Amino acid sequence: MNSRDDSREPCSDGAQPPAIRLIGIGKSFANGDRRIAVLDGVHLTIEMQAIVGLIGASGAGKSTLLSIIAGILKPDRGQVCICGAASEEFNDWRSVGYMFQDDRLLPWRSALRNVEFALEAGSVAREERVRRARAALELVELDAFADAFPYQLSGGMRSRIALARSLVTEPRILLMDEPFSRLDAQTRSLMHEELLRIHRLKRMTVVFVTHDVAEAALLADQVAVMSPRPGTIREVIDIEIARPRDITQPEVTRYMQRLRSAI
Amino acid sequence: MKAPARAPHVRLDLIVQRLALAAAGIAVWWLSSLSVPHYILPGPARVWEALRLIAANGDLWNNLAITLWRVVSGFVTAALVGLPLGIVLGANQRAGEFFEPIIPVLNTVSSAIWAIFAIIWFGISNATTIFVVFMTAMPLIITNVWQGTRTVSADFIELARVLRMPRWKIMEKIYLPTILPYFFSGSRLAFGFSWRVSLVAETIGSSSGVGYRLRQAADLIRTDQVFAWTLTLVILMATIEMALLKPLENYLFRWKKDVEMQ
Repeated sequence: MNSRDDSREPCSDGAQPPAIRLIGIGKSFANGDRRIAVLDGVHLTIEMQAIVGLIGASGAGKSTLLSIIAGILKPDRGQVCICGAASEEFNDWRSVGYMFQDDRLLPWRSALRNVEFALEAGSVAREERVRRARAALELVELDAFADAFPYQLSGGMRSRIALARSLVTEPRILLMDEPFSRLDAQTRSLMHEELLRIHRLKRMTVVFVTHDVAEAALLADQVAVMSPRPGTIREVIDIEIARPRDITQPEVTRYMQRLRSAI
Repeated sequence: MKAPARAPHVRLDLIVQRLALAAAGIAVWWLSSLSVPHYILPGPARVWEALRLIAANGDLWNNLAITLWRVVSGFVTAALVGLPLGIVLGANQRAGEFFEPIIPVLNTVSSAIWAIFAIIWFGISNATTIFVVFMTAMPLIITNVWQGTRTVSADFIELARVLRMPRWKIMEKIYLPTILPYFFSGSRLAFGFSWRVSLVAETIGSSSGVGYRLRQAADLIRTDQVFAWTLTLVILMATIEMALLKPLENYLFRWKKDVEMQ
């Protein structure tokens, strides 16, 4: 009943908790003898099954915020709630997938074994692991390349295998840190279609960091615009365009302009 | 039409080249042996006779087996000690910094000196040769594994952390595969050294093995037998290298682009 318990109270209200709720998140890093505030008072609620983009100028703390949501970085202040549980009490991290900026495939493992890697942290039996990894490769339509090593695959294929690896655990939440930023424009737009197709099937909550207003306008249901020094959420914009969306649609262009002016 | 490097006819070409080189070597050897006494430089025919003799009376196989057994024992012990030690020194920065000077010191001590110490400590026994092989191979393996540990990618460790992988699994699934190529090349180097060094050790500290037989043959001025033993060793080493280690390396590291291209 002390004040520390009160701060956790908001996690467990309501029958249908949001996928992610951020309450007053603050984070600073030491730089010499000064401390630099990277995030200050970040509030955000992300509903289940939503696709949410985090956009903002570089240095706005987008990636830091994503790491805090993923629980690999501790905030100095504030509360992170995942599926209605306080982050530090949440114990189902394997239902949270994470995709890095690069594909981060292990070069000594075949495509299939790379996807399996995500299941090896837990205690999934070998046959079960192989079966699920194959299913994940089928989902990204790369089951024919199960035995190929990363160096034998193109950038887009490697990216899809990384996607399969973050989906093989059947995550309820998928966090993506500028996942397609290193791909060429054409491959990137194929990956967007891929992601949306899988989202229609699996209905996981997706949070992605991007600096690309087109990517945000095409993918997201909502875009949280962050402003820098210290990073905070300036505005949350609902993207109300029916799917499928296309870069040539005037509405998309309008939202892109709106996002650009908000950054 | 020479572009596809993996086409079989190119390999055939290589075999012909190698055979020609060997034939030329033997011809030069034979020609030089004609003008000097046979106890200085015996000709190919004489060495072939000596080889047949030691092979027929079992001398060859017995002593090769003894030497091989000693080399393998010393080498395996060195690998078992060197691999974990290299990982610990590489993964723990303070330990690494503290022990760093020991490796160059160990590497500068000549194998002949280890052999002399070994005789003082172990006398004329198997342990003498095994010890010398161990002391020569271990620093090489440690150095390579240590170097490999430094190349472990922080990105891959972050990946494992995001997946909430326990520390021992990170060791097994990230550290070990990263280190393996370094361990392997260190081992190959160490194995080659082990052979050479074992002969030195057997020459001065043993009453059996190829090294002992070499010295015996030299003492009796049986230069043809010295050549016969030498030839056997060279062929054995080349066979192990080409028929065992190289294919094993190609298989283990097939995920590396450059291995595939060779």
